[in-house]
Amino acid sequence: MANKIKNEFVAYSEPAIRNNLSIVEYCRTSVAAVSGCTAGVLGLTGLYGALFFVIAVTSFWFMLIFKAGIDSWKKYFISRKSLLLNGIFGHFFTYILCWTFIYGMVHVY
Amino acid sequence: MGADLIVDPQIRFWVFLPIVVITFLVGILRHYASILLSSQKKIEIQQLADSQLLLRARALRENSGYIPKNAFLIRKQAFNKEDGYLMQKRPAVSQNMMTDPSMMTDMLKGNLTNVLPMIVIGGWINWMFSGFITTKVPFPLTLRFKSMLQRGIELSHLDASWVSSASWYFLNVFGLRSIYTLVLGENNAADQSKQMQEQMQMTGAASGMPADPKVPFKAEWEALEITEHQTKLADVEKDLL
Repeated sequence: MANKIKNEFVAYSEPAIRNNLSIVEYCRTSVAAVSGCTAGVLGLTGLYGALFFVIAVTSFWFMLIFKAGIDSWKKYFISRKSLLLNGIFGHFFTYILCWTFIYGMVHVY
Repeated sequence: MGADLIVDPQIRFWVFLPIVVITFLVGILRHYASILLSSQKKIEIQQLADSQLLLRARALRENSGYIPKNAFLIRKQAFNKEDGYLMQKRPAVSQNMMTDPSMMTDMLKGNLTNVLPMIVIGGWINWMFSGFITTKVPFPLTLRFKSMLQRGIELSHLDASWVSSASWYFLNVFGLRSIYTLVLGENNAADQSKQMQEQMQMTGAASGMPADPKVPFKAEWEALEITEHQTKLADVEKDLL
């Protein structure tokens, strides 16, 4: 109970949190683009590509939390889940575009 | 891959790649053109003061836990008492955006940087690269997608995952959004779809400054009135020392 009350009053600096989130957003876009290119070069098709996206995003998430510190990530981000799921469809679209592009360049012709 | 269709490698270098490059560079160009054309919005000093007042009231409300109760109550009084900041009377301003010439030029510039390139470049791409099969999406799709991905090619027996040049252009237009964010930073003007949304909102309701400050003042007054002081620094000595 004492722990809960303490959590309620964790004081976050809002500009800092927003800055962190926008940096993470850049990283996640890059991850989506780079993993899309990788999937295209590897010539993954169908569900394998989707699976590759899930793996890439999740492993990036783990890396991020590891980098922030498994115990201390709460210092930098409010929610762990939103780091994984925010704007996932937009990133998936980026992934599909890069995937299609590189796949077309390498494998179709 | 199952080669059910062999595409000329020349298409890759003269159609497939150029479309991506053109779309990308047009986005970059649009970003800088809109910076060049954008005009500083003229704001009346009274409006600016009002919006800053609202911001101050909100900051007080949200951060009330970090100041002593006494200080909070004094500030709250300054905002909410009978002739406090939030109870000031303002003459109602009615502005008609259609008669405002600066508004009109803004909209014209918006059209100039948004709609015109889309029509011109889209039409040019359609004319220049019409009728090519450019690429194949690496996942199977149902027939429903045929009309979306194979614009400009009417072949009923073609597999749905082949993409025509016109559709490849549209995929790029909508897909490069986050790449622009990466390259140009946030709030860039390269993205067409976002700008179109903004324009829709502009025509719906004149955005930006509220025309009548009375309404947000009243709302803020109410919100501040029901805010209770609850200190967040109760055991700060223990935490810090």
